[in-house]
Amino acid sequence: MCGISGVVGEGNVIPVLFESIRNLEYRGYDSCGMAVLGGNDIAVRKNTGGVDEVNQKERLTALQGSAGISHTRWATHGRVTAANAHPHLSYDGRFAVVHNGIINNYQELKTLLKAQGVEFQSETDTEVVAHLLANAYLEFGTVEDALRAVLKQLDGTYALAVISPHQPDHIYAVRGGSPLVLGLSPQRNFAASDVNAFLPFTRKAVYLEDGEMAVLTPQGYTLSRLADGALVTRPPQMIEWDAETSRKGGYSHYMLKEIFDQPHTLTNALHIPRVEIAALAQSIQQARSTTLMGVGTTYFVGLLGQYAFSQLAGVLVQVISSDEFPEVAVVGPGDLVVAVSQSGETYDTRSAVELAKTSGARTAAIVNVMGSTLSRLVDQVIMQGSGPEICVVSTKAALSQMLVLVRTALELGLANGRLTPQAHNAWLADLDAFPDQLQKTLNEMSGFVRNLAEKTAHFQNWLFMGRGIYYPMAMEAALKMKEVTYLHVEGIPAGFLKHGTLALVDEHFATLAFFPPKAATRLHQQTLAAVEEVKARSGPVFGIYQENDHEAAQILDGGIALPVLPAGVAPLMSLVVAQLFSYFAALKLGRAIDKPRNLAKSVTVG
Amino acid sequence: MKAVILAAAPSDKLQPFTETRAKPMIRVAGRTILDYTIAHLKSAGVTEVVVVVNHLRETIEKQIGHGHQYGLSIEYIHQPQPDGIGGALLRCKEAMNGSPFLLIYGDVLVTGNPYPRVMEQFQEMGGAVAAVTLPRRSGEFGNVYLDPDMRITRLVEKPTDPHLANYVLAGVFLLPSEVFSLLEAQGGDMEQVFQELIGKKQLNATLWDGEWLDITRPWHILEANRMLMDQWENASVHHTVRMENNVHLEGPVHIGSHVVIGAGSVIKGPCYIGHGSYIGSSTLIREYTSLGPDSVVGYGTELKNCVLFGRSVLGRLSFIGDSVIGEDVHLGTGVCTVNFQKGVDDLSVKLAEGPMKTGMAKLGAMIGDHVSIGARHVLEPGSRIRARFQAPDLVTIPTEPW
Repeated sequence: MCGISGVVGEGNVIPVLFESIRNLEYRGYDSCGMAVLGGNDIAVRKNTGGVDEVNQKERLTALQGSAGISHTRWATHGRVTAANAHPHLSYDGRFAVVHNGIINNYQELKTLLKAQGVEFQSETDTEVVAHLLANAYLEFGTVEDALRAVLKQLDGTYALAVISPHQPDHIYAVRGGSPLVLGLSPQRNFAASDVNAFLPFTRKAVYLEDGEMAVLTPQGYTLSRLADGALVTRPPQMIEWDAETSRKGGYSHYMLKEIFDQPHTLTNALHIPRVEIAALAQSIQQARSTTLMGVGTTYFVGLLGQYAFSQLAGVLVQVISSDEFPEVAVVGPGDLVVAVSQSGETYDTRSAVELAKTSGARTAAIVNVMGSTLSRLVDQVIMQGSGPEICVVSTKAALSQMLVLVRTALELGLANGRLTPQAHNAWLADLDAFPDQLQKTLNEMSGFVRNLAEKTAHFQNWLFMGRGIYYPMAMEAALKMKEVTYLHVEGIPAGFLKHGTLALVDEHFATLAFFPPKAATRLHQQTLAAVEEVKARSGPVFGIYQENDHEAAQILDGGIALPVLPAGVAPLMSLVVAQLFSYFAALKLGRAIDKPRNLAKSVTVG
Repeated sequence: MKAVILAAAPSDKLQPFTETRAKPMIRVAGRTILDYTIAHLKSAGVTEVVVVVNHLRETIEKQIGHGHQYGLSIEYIHQPQPDGIGGALLRCKEAMNGSPFLLIYGDVLVTGNPYPRVMEQFQEMGGAVAAVTLPRRSGEFGNVYLDPDMRITRLVEKPTDPHLANYVLAGVFLLPSEVFSLLEAQGGDMEQVFQELIGKKQLNATLWDGEWLDITRPWHILEANRMLMDQWENASVHHTVRMENNVHLEGPVHIGSHVVIGAGSVIKGPCYIGHGSYIGSSTLIREYTSLGPDSVVGYGTELKNCVLFGRSVLGRLSFIGDSVIGEDVHLGTGVCTVNFQKGVDDLSVKLAEGPMKTGMAKLGAMIGDHVSIGARHVLEPGSRIRARFQAPDLVTIPTEPW
């Protein structure tokens, strides 16, 4: 997903254009750029980073002009570089293009253009559109006809905005499968990916349909069909809702949207090429020691990784919280440090990786934001492909990172002979089936999870506990719960209970137990025993367990009974249920779910 | 934007109240269900509303009129046969005039306004949009399966599997005008149209996470009343209200115009007292009581968690708890509702087909419109008194001829 915005109006529109693209930053934020018509030229400024960062680097707001287009990018194909950022200019500098979508046949078009001697500045599919426009203009003589001709050659999905000094004070916008909406006001007119771009300036909007082109001027606009050029009249409508809700695509909070996005993001993580995963496994195999590193949620991701590497590959890796890494880590040449970070900008993790590099260790990272500092810093990077995560509290990014580590452990197990190819394949099959099971469970269990959250919303203190691989799940779930509800939630390995934590338990102190499948007999018995200990002190205990687990159902004061799943994916499923539980608890308590107090998405300071 | 509200079907399950009034005319927290719906539509920018009517249509039309009080236009379309949602919609085809429209079930109550969100989703995603919500009980409604992009991939009407707790259709839709041709092709069967849209991935959902309630049984009126009152944060007393000495008010209490409250009365919010009501001395009106306009409450009477539609007279020294009382009801001196049964935490009501659990630990009487009950009667828990029922005073010592 990317965001595009164009503004044309009286006087200098650049401050408005800048604010509009900033309002679209949630659609993607790895690079950004702006093109402005000034006199007989187009000025283009662009670079990598978020909108504010690019403005600092390139002084976007110092541009001036009465018509401009801009773009904020979330790379899916092509690296994050200044050259790949939009807008793209035609070879003659007479057309600037911003694009959201994918041109499927760009390679063949690119080959044709190259044969004509056109030099390409970027690796993007979009650039072909700019060059084709320059060619078509020579043939047809008007920007509008040139654009119609070019669109006939494109196969793919797009929303495009184009400016050209051939037609000053005009913006051309077309929709073919990606969203586009016009914003209308007496002072200026907008074309943008969604209404957030212009809601602070106008609420009067016209939505384009696929196969339509809009031509905007400071005074107004025309709308026509691409196929036959016929004019379209569509009365504008007033947008009644506020900017924040319209970004959430039918969900009331980003957190819930991102929880429900997990079947999709897990599929992306499963589609990361096996060679990339195997390469990381190979680095681990060759290393003298391996350290997993993250902070906050990503530390618990690492903790899960530790269990996965041990249980699937018979390899014990260290897990160190990034902030403590400088104090405790002893790494040097021959050692491997694997960092996990959603943003790739986390200060503690970045500095720890720099330290590891200085000490001569090999470095790798699992990162969500392409082009981020961390992804450029390390020797080896896996892009998890979870899409923008907006809610401060990480859900989908963390789950995908866990999946990537499990996949890596499987490759390592296969490589070092700990797993037979059959066992390895059986595991992969379980993982492949997981997104669909997760989708089903999210659909069928949401009501139960909400009812449980409402029933327990009066508890001020919580203990989340689990054993074995359910211990990292309990820790991560406790962090989610405290972040989003502001309640006191303590995560512990259930074995800790009688070594101190039990002192806290009374009838006001609630416990959430993460049950392993019954098949894991020893772990299951230990978890039951821990629950008995809490119950014996009058502590109310709730649990996440599998539906065939009658012992758990009997002893608990309530809980969520999940379908029976393979041992490999069951812990991940219980984590998702705990995410949902935290969400509904916070909803009941009226918390600022997407932006909990005192917290920020990407902690880039030390 | 236009809207169609479905209000034609009779509802036997909601008797005694639907014996004398259309279902959307049930009053909760001082206002009718239809009044809440239309007010929300107005503030979402809807300009034209069609109400599909049949059962006791005059009770709707008389009170709601043509919408001047709301600032929008209201038209009524008659659905004489019970030919379902599809039949109701087909009758509205002309009135919708080729534009997209909101479709709303007339018996749904929500906290907050769901319509702007549905309209927004329609603009962003195109296609048809259905609001979905998580009810306390999913089994009674149309359960949906969603994909990550909020498209509905499956619809299961009233599933019997107790292991399902899906989001359900909330009775609020935004439909493009093409739905009429689909409906004609499907012989007027709306469920088939939904299934067809789902098959083509053209039914998008928007989550409604406010409170939501479909009122299907009389005791749900109490639940709805509580749901709405729980949202109240402020109190209001109209400047024409007259309170005698030592009246004690606490919590969110809303008192309408020209209400008189006698000395020594205690009113604990959330409570609603409609305009023109008279509250006698030393009464105790406790949480979640909603008194419709022009009610009279006699001296020393206690009310708790009950809804009175209005224009009723409660005699002195009565106790009415966990009960719903229709309009124009007269209860004599010392009438008492019994609202619990020792040792029972889920009271059952007697239906013709057998007992039915209500999920309520306390439940009094459901008393229809125009009932008159004489002095000193005691009503058993979960009792239903039909509209216009008459009972004379309970006299233990009849007078001998003078």
